[in-house]
Amino acid sequence: MAAQPLIKSKQKEEIINGISTQVVCTEFSNYIFVVLTQYGKMGTLISVTPDSRTTDISTPMFTTKVLLGKDEALTHVCAKQLATFVSQEAGNRPVLLGLALKDSSIEGIKAMKDMIKSCQVW
Amino acid sequence: MNNVVCGNSDQVAAGDAISVHDFSEKILEQVIHFHVMKMKGGFFLWVGASPHLSNLAVAMSSKYDSMPLSTLVLGDPSDTAPNSLAQRLAKKTKKQVFVSYNLPSTEANLTLLVENRIKKEMELFPDKF
Repeated sequence: MAAQPLIKSKQKEEIINGISTQVVCTEFSNYIFVVLTQYGKMGTLISVTPDSRTTDISTPMFTTKVLLGKDEALTHVCAKQLATFVSQEAGNRPVLLGLALKDSSIEGIKAMKDMIKSCQVW
Repeated sequence: MNNVVCGNSDQVAAGDAISVHDFSEKILEQVIHFHVMKMKGGFFLWVGASPHLSNLAVAMSSKYDSMPLSTLVLGDPSDTAPNSLAQRLAKKTKKQVFVSYNLPSTEANLTLLVENRIKKEMELFPDKF
Protein backbone atom coordinates (compact mmCIF):
# COMPACT_ATOMS: atom_id res chain seq x y z
CA MET A 1 0.00 0.00 0.00
CA ALA A 2 2.90 2.33 0.76
CA ALA A 3 4.24 2.03 -2.77
CA GLN A 4 3.57 4.68 -5.38
CA PRO A 5 0.29 4.00 -7.19
CA LEU A 6 0.80 2.50 -10.63
CA ILE A 7 -1.82 4.73 -12.18
CA LYS A 8 -1.12 8.45 -12.24
CA SER A 9 -4.07 10.81 -11.92
CA LYS A 10 -4.73 14.48 -11.21
CA GLN A 11 -7.97 16.25 -10.42
CA LYS A 12 -9.38 19.73 -10.10
CA GLU A 13 -12.63 21.42 -9.22
CA GLU A 14 -13.66 24.87 -10.42
CA ILE A 15 -16.75 26.99 -10.87
CA ILE A 16 -17.32 27.75 -14.55
CA ASN A 17 -20.17 30.15 -15.40
CA GLY A 18 -21.56 29.49 -11.97
CA ILE A 19 -21.51 25.69 -12.36
CA SER A 20 -19.33 23.41 -10.28
CA THR A 21 -17.07 21.58 -12.72
CA GLN A 22 -14.75 18.67 -11.99
CA VAL A 23 -11.90 17.22 -14.01
CA VAL A 24 -10.00 14.00 -13.35
CA CYS A 25 -7.21 12.99 -15.74
CA THR A 26 -5.77 9.48 -15.51
CA GLU A 27 -2.83 8.12 -17.44
CA PHE A 28 -2.73 4.62 -18.92
CA SER A 29 -0.01 3.41 -21.26
CA ASN A 30 -2.44 3.15 -24.19
CA TYR A 31 -5.07 5.75 -23.19
CA ILE A 32 -5.53 9.03 -21.43
CA PHE A 33 -8.75 8.91 -19.47
CA VAL A 34 -10.40 12.28 -18.85
CA VAL A 35 -13.57 12.73 -16.82
CA LEU A 36 -15.10 16.19 -17.19
CA THR A 37 -18.32 16.54 -15.29
CA GLN A 38 -20.82 19.09 -14.04
CA TYR A 39 -23.12 16.37 -12.69
CA GLY A 40 -20.55 14.50 -10.59
CA LYS A 41 -20.93 11.42 -12.72
CA MET A 42 -19.34 9.86 -15.76
CA GLY A 43 -22.01 10.88 -18.28
CA THR A 44 -21.41 10.13 -21.94
CA LEU A 45 -18.33 8.09 -22.77
CA ILE A 46 -16.50 9.10 -25.92
CA SER A 47 -13.31 7.80 -27.49
CA VAL A 48 -11.19 10.31 -29.37
CA THR A 49 -8.71 8.48 -31.59
CA PRO A 50 -6.10 10.00 -33.88
CA ASP A 51 -6.31 8.55 -37.38
CA SER A 52 -3.28 6.49 -38.23
CA ARG A 53 -3.17 7.75 -41.79
CA THR A 54 -1.87 11.29 -41.58
CA THR A 55 -1.84 13.49 -44.64
CA ASP A 56 1.14 15.44 -45.96
CA ILE A 57 -0.14 18.52 -44.25
CA SER A 58 0.66 18.04 -40.61
CA THR A 59 -2.92 18.37 -39.43
CA PRO A 60 -3.90 15.10 -37.81
CA MET A 61 -7.49 13.92 -38.06
CA PHE A 62 -9.45 12.57 -35.14
CA THR A 63 -12.29 10.14 -34.94
CA THR A 64 -14.81 10.55 -32.14
CA LYS A 65 -17.05 7.70 -31.17
CA VAL A 66 -19.76 7.69 -28.51
CA LEU A 67 -19.24 4.44 -26.59
CA LEU A 68 -22.01 4.98 -24.05
CA GLY A 69 -24.76 7.57 -23.95
CA LYS A 70 -26.67 9.78 -26.31
CA ASP A 71 -24.96 10.14 -29.67
CA GLU A 72 -25.45 13.84 -30.45
CA ALA A 73 -23.54 16.01 -32.89
CA LEU A 74 -22.70 18.51 -30.14
CA THR A 75 -21.10 15.76 -28.08
CA HIS A 76 -18.66 15.03 -30.90
CA VAL A 77 -17.85 18.72 -31.30
CA CYS A 78 -17.21 19.19 -27.58
CA ALA A 79 -15.16 15.99 -27.38
CA LYS A 80 -12.91 17.07 -30.25
CA GLN A 81 -12.53 20.57 -28.82
CA LEU A 82 -11.59 19.21 -25.42
CA ALA A 83 -9.52 16.13 -26.16
CA THR A 84 -7.59 16.73 -29.39
CA PHE A 85 -4.77 18.62 -27.70
CA VAL A 86 -4.53 15.95 -24.99
CA SER A 87 -3.99 13.25 -27.59
CA GLN A 88 -1.41 15.33 -29.45
CA GLU A 89 0.53 16.19 -26.32
CA ALA A 90 0.40 12.59 -25.13
CA GLY A 91 2.21 11.24 -28.19
CA ASN A 92 -0.97 10.59 -30.20
CA ARG A 93 -2.47 8.35 -27.57
CA PRO A 94 -6.25 7.95 -27.85
CA VAL A 95 -8.36 9.72 -25.25
CA LEU A 96 -11.27 8.22 -23.39
CA LEU A 97 -13.54 11.05 -22.33
CA GLY A 98 -16.36 10.96 -19.81
CA LEU A 99 -18.47 14.05 -20.46
CA ALA A 100 -21.43 15.31 -18.44
CA LEU A 101 -21.97 19.00 -19.16
CA LYS A 102 -24.72 21.45 -18.30
CA ASP A 103 -23.00 24.25 -20.16
CA SER A 104 -21.53 23.67 -23.63
CA SER A 105 -20.91 27.33 -24.49
CA ILE A 106 -17.68 28.26 -26.23
CA GLU A 107 -16.45 30.22 -23.20
CA GLY A 108 -17.31 27.30 -20.96
CA ILE A 109 -15.48 24.80 -23.14
CA LYS A 110 -12.43 27.09 -23.25
CA ALA A 111 -12.32 27.29 -19.48
CA MET A 112 -12.71 23.50 -19.23
CA LYS A 113 -9.86 23.01 -21.65
CA ASP A 114 -7.65 25.07 -19.35
CA MET A 115 -8.76 22.91 -16.45
CA ILE A 116 -7.77 19.76 -18.34
CA LYS A 117 -4.42 21.40 -19.15
CA SER A 118 -3.80 22.01 -15.46
CA CYS A 119 -4.38 18.30 -14.77
CA GLN A 120 -1.66 17.13 -17.14
CA VAL A 121 -0.65 13.53 -16.41
CA TRP A 122 0.84 12.70 -19.81
CA MET B 1 -28.19 2.91 -25.58
CA ASN B 2 -29.62 5.53 -23.33
CA ASN B 3 -28.00 8.57 -21.92
CA VAL B 4 -26.42 7.67 -18.61
CA VAL B 5 -27.03 11.10 -17.13
CA CYS B 6 -30.37 10.60 -15.48
CA GLY B 7 -32.33 11.21 -12.32
CA ASN B 8 -32.77 14.56 -10.66
CA SER B 9 -29.25 15.53 -11.54
CA ASP B 10 -29.87 19.26 -11.28
CA GLN B 11 -29.38 19.11 -7.57
CA VAL B 12 -25.69 18.41 -7.38
CA ALA B 13 -24.20 19.75 -4.21
CA ALA B 14 -20.81 21.38 -4.59
CA GLY B 15 -19.51 19.06 -1.90
CA ASP B 16 -19.66 15.71 -3.67
CA ALA B 17 -16.24 15.73 -5.25
CA ILE B 18 -14.87 12.79 -7.18
CA SER B 19 -12.50 10.83 -4.96
CA VAL B 20 -9.58 8.73 -6.16
CA HIS B 21 -8.36 5.72 -4.20
CA ASP B 22 -5.40 3.43 -5.00
CA PHE B 23 -4.39 0.16 -3.41
CA SER B 24 -2.38 -2.89 -4.36
CA GLU B 25 -1.89 -6.45 -3.19
CA LYS B 26 0.41 -9.36 -4.00
CA ILE B 27 -1.89 -12.10 -5.28
CA LEU B 28 -0.53 -15.40 -6.60
CA GLU B 29 3.06 -14.12 -6.78
CA GLN B 30 2.23 -10.93 -8.66
CA VAL B 31 1.45 -7.42 -7.54
CA ILE B 32 -2.05 -6.43 -8.60
CA HIS B 33 -2.93 -2.74 -8.63
CA PHE B 34 -6.38 -1.26 -8.06
CA HIS B 35 -7.52 2.24 -8.93
CA VAL B 36 -10.94 3.50 -7.87
CA MET B 37 -12.66 6.72 -8.86
CA LYS B 38 -15.78 7.41 -6.87
CA MET B 39 -18.43 9.50 -8.57
CA LYS B 40 -21.99 10.45 -7.80
CA GLY B 41 -24.07 7.28 -7.86
CA GLY B 42 -21.28 5.07 -9.08
CA PHE B 43 -17.59 4.34 -9.39
CA PHE B 44 -14.88 3.41 -11.87
CA LEU B 45 -12.55 0.56 -10.96
CA TRP B 46 -9.40 -0.39 -12.82
CA VAL B 47 -7.56 -3.62 -12.00
CA GLY B 48 -4.24 -4.65 -13.49
CA ALA B 49 -0.56 -5.45 -13.16
CA SER B 50 0.67 -2.95 -15.77
CA PRO B 51 -0.83 0.49 -16.55
CA HIS B 52 -2.85 -0.67 -19.54
CA LEU B 53 -6.54 -0.04 -20.23
CA SER B 54 -7.67 -2.87 -22.48
CA ASN B 55 -11.39 -3.03 -21.77
CA LEU B 56 -14.25 -1.26 -20.01
CA ALA B 57 -17.54 -2.70 -18.86
CA VAL B 58 -20.52 -0.90 -17.30
CA ALA B 59 -23.12 -2.48 -15.09
CA MET B 60 -26.14 -1.15 -13.24
CA SER B 61 -29.14 -2.53 -11.45
CA SER B 62 -32.51 -2.64 -13.13
CA LYS B 63 -35.92 -2.94 -11.53
CA TYR B 64 -36.90 -5.58 -14.07
CA ASP B 65 -34.22 -8.11 -13.20
CA SER B 66 -32.52 -9.21 -9.99
CA MET B 67 -29.20 -9.41 -11.84
CA PRO B 68 -27.72 -6.05 -12.92
CA LEU B 69 -27.44 -5.29 -16.61
CA SER B 70 -23.95 -5.16 -18.00
CA THR B 71 -22.35 -4.10 -21.26
CA LEU B 72 -18.85 -3.88 -22.63
CA VAL B 73 -18.09 -0.45 -24.07
CA LEU B 74 -14.44 -1.00 -24.89
CA GLY B 75 -12.32 -4.05 -25.65
CA ASP B 76 -12.65 -7.66 -26.71
CA PRO B 77 -16.24 -8.92 -26.27
CA SER B 78 -15.06 -12.54 -25.99
CA ASP B 79 -13.46 -11.68 -22.65
CA THR B 80 -16.33 -11.88 -20.19
CA ALA B 81 -14.28 -11.12 -17.07
CA PRO B 82 -14.83 -7.32 -17.01
CA ASN B 83 -18.57 -7.75 -17.56
CA SER B 84 -19.09 -10.33 -14.85
CA LEU B 85 -17.00 -8.42 -12.32
CA ALA B 86 -18.90 -5.19 -13.06
CA GLN B 87 -22.17 -7.05 -12.73
CA ARG B 88 -21.29 -8.60 -9.38
CA LEU B 89 -20.00 -5.32 -7.97
CA ALA B 90 -23.14 -3.52 -9.17
CA LYS B 91 -25.26 -6.12 -7.41
CA LYS B 92 -23.29 -5.72 -4.21
CA THR B 93 -23.20 -1.92 -4.18
CA LYS B 94 -26.48 -1.10 -6.01
CA LYS B 95 -24.51 1.50 -7.95
CA GLN B 96 -23.49 2.12 -11.51
CA VAL B 97 -20.13 0.39 -11.86
CA PHE B 98 -17.45 0.83 -14.52
CA VAL B 99 -14.83 -1.91 -14.53
CA SER B 100 -11.61 -2.28 -16.49
CA TYR B 101 -10.13 -5.72 -15.80
CA ASN B 102 -6.62 -6.10 -17.18
CA LEU B 103 -5.56 -9.54 -16.02
CA PRO B 104 -5.66 -12.90 -17.80
CA SER B 105 -9.27 -14.03 -17.42
CA THR B 106 -8.21 -17.65 -18.00
CA GLU B 107 -7.04 -17.82 -14.40
CA ALA B 108 -10.34 -18.26 -12.63
CA ASN B 109 -8.58 -18.61 -9.31
CA LEU B 110 -6.91 -15.22 -9.70
CA THR B 111 -10.20 -13.62 -10.71
CA LEU B 112 -11.81 -14.92 -7.54
CA LEU B 113 -8.98 -13.72 -5.30
CA VAL B 114 -9.04 -10.31 -6.98
CA GLU B 115 -12.77 -10.00 -6.43
CA ASN B 116 -12.41 -10.93 -2.78
CA ARG B 117 -9.66 -8.35 -2.38
CA ILE B 118 -11.95 -5.67 -3.84
CA LYS B 119 -14.75 -6.67 -1.46
CA LYS B 120 -12.34 -6.50 1.47
CA GLU B 121 -11.33 -2.97 0.47
CA MET B 122 -15.02 -2.05 0.18
CA GLU B 123 -15.53 -3.16 3.76
CA LEU B 124 -12.45 -1.30 4.99
CA PHE B 125 -13.15 1.90 3.06
CA PRO B 126 -16.86 1.99 2.18
CA ASP B 127 -16.70 5.74 1.51
CA LYS B 128 -14.17 5.20 -1.30
CA PHE B 129 -16.58 3.25 -3.51
